[in-house]
Amino acid sequence: MATPEGAGSPVVVRARRGDGRATLGLLSGPLVWLVLFFVIPVGFIAAYSVGAVSLFPTDSGVLSLQEWAHFLGGGSIYLGLFWKSIRISLTVSLVVVLLAYPVGYYLALCVRRRKYVLLLLIIAPFLTSFLLRVLAWKVILGEQGVLNSFLSWSHVRSPDDPITWLLYGQFAVMLVLAYVWVPFVALPIFVSLENLDRSVLEAAGDLGASRWRTFVRVTLPLSLPGVLAAFLFVFIPTIGEFVTPLLVGGPSGYMFGNAINNLFTGALDWQTGSVLALFMLTVVAGLMALFGRFLQVRSVAAG
Amino acid sequence: MEAATSNSARRVLTVFFVVLVLFLYIPIAILAVLSFNDGDVTFPLQGFTTEWYSRSLSNPSLLAALRRSAIVATASSAIAVALGTLVAFALVRRRFVGRSVASALFFSPLVVPYLVFGISLLVLLTAFDRFLADSTGYVIGLGLHAVVIGHVVVSLPYTALTIIPLLERLPVSLEEAAQDLGAGPWDRFRRVTLPLLTPALFSSFLIAFTLSFDEYAIASFLAGTQATWPVFLFGQLRVPSQLPQLVAVSSVIFFASLLLVLTAEITRRMSARRYGEAFASRGLA
Repeated sequence: MATPEGAGSPVVVRARRGDGRATLGLLSGPLVWLVLFFVIPVGFIAAYSVGAVSLFPTDSGVLSLQEWAHFLGGGSIYLGLFWKSIRISLTVSLVVVLLAYPVGYYLALCVRRRKYVLLLLIIAPFLTSFLLRVLAWKVILGEQGVLNSFLSWSHVRSPDDPITWLLYGQFAVMLVLAYVWVPFVALPIFVSLENLDRSVLEAAGDLGASRWRTFVRVTLPLSLPGVLAAFLFVFIPTIGEFVTPLLVGGPSGYMFGNAINNLFTGALDWQTGSVLALFMLTVVAGLMALFGRFLQVRSVAAG
Repeated sequence: MEAATSNSARRVLTVFFVVLVLFLYIPIAILAVLSFNDGDVTFPLQGFTTEWYSRSLSNPSLLAALRRSAIVATASSAIAVALGTLVAFALVRRRFVGRSVASALFFSPLVVPYLVFGISLLVLLTAFDRFLADSTGYVIGLGLHAVVIGHVVVSLPYTALTIIPLLERLPVSLEEAAQDLGAGPWDRFRRVTLPLLTPALFSSFLIAFTLSFDEYAIASFLAGTQATWPVFLFGQLRVPSQLPQLVAVSSVIFFASLLLVLTAEITRRMSARRYGEAFASRGLA
């Protein structure tokens, strides 16, 4: 039979002699893997960005901050592209949170039976092929796509006059990114609302607050950490996005991530690419430093 | 609960929920329907055919890509589960100096854009190859091994996070009992802890597997000439004549991964419930 201590709060075996070595034994495998294949690579692009490493004849090979100064001083197109990508990602994150909040609220506070089944219904698409979901929209939005062929078939529009702005533009990028990320962030929002102390809501009602007022003054503020986590969970991957713009973005949907991808795979200017990549990482790290405490990593696995 | 939401608000939210579910599933459903269309991937439908499915089965480069992805996903999830188990044990059962730093390191791949991580690994492996070529004349090159290395890093947080909650609920008393009965540390792990953890290990393997099987960004930098399924799929998307076949295979994969994910989730919940009943003193979500 389980003792209360055994089954209670997180179990920690009391320190014994030789424990330090055992802990190191447990940690050494994962630590070595992450240091070798995660920390050192990131350090490498940092070194590359200042010219400490060079792999191509075209690289300067001279230690200097020149590439950084060129980029940050706006001497290239990349800084403008960065702000454009920030704008796209912010819009997408906002839309996604606005779409996911009512769903999280509904599942946490309105549904009593089968709420986890319904939650899984929302999350499931996220765990399936990303490219397929992007491809679906390419098929739907194209000039010969589902939407346009349906419109011409139903004689709403002539077949010679399809709606052309649907695909290949910022609209398509934002629509598809929102579509891709909604399932993922329903989870953190749901978790924050599910963990809400219900008696607080009842107290607000007992004290005469209307339902709307209770929502605005109590529920919403208490769920803000979850909302912020959701926002970051969308913003971080979308700012690094390059696949969706490649497939549905066209020239006007080109993002910062596309520039990085192109510098590494097409233009082979790895030094500039390293500057941009490290800059992106710095921005993400800055966001994490500011808001990271709201991110409960567990909520991504709590479904 | 009734106090928090009025009936009309609840009705609006129900409608919103249904609309969102439709928004999420209709595009995928459209693709699935079009994969049986006897013609292009467009409406109106031309007729029913399973030709695209049978044709994809005899497309050698498509099958090779699927096989590569299966290899990468199996290898990377096996390693990620093993490492994730170690991380879980260290974080749940041990107190040590630098615990919060270690934990931040283990979970940081969750918030690093895959693009940045993929190119970092590309730069490192290229530099290492250059060094190897200069000193020994051999090169390793990119390929499936490189993709496995990358996928282990990004899967590790997910496997650890799936195992940790179960490990936290696992009472130490069972292992102590085994110890009192004379079992050594290895026996204790193999005969007591491991069987109890199996559901979590299984579901974390499935999560890592689906993640790896579907991962494009990292694989696109590291696969070299050995295109995995997503890399192959991406390359073929520009060829309109290939589209119906790709849609057909993707639909199969979609439903297969849906099934995998559901299995993983149900296993996890069932085991959580079982522990919940056995060790009722700890409240379960």
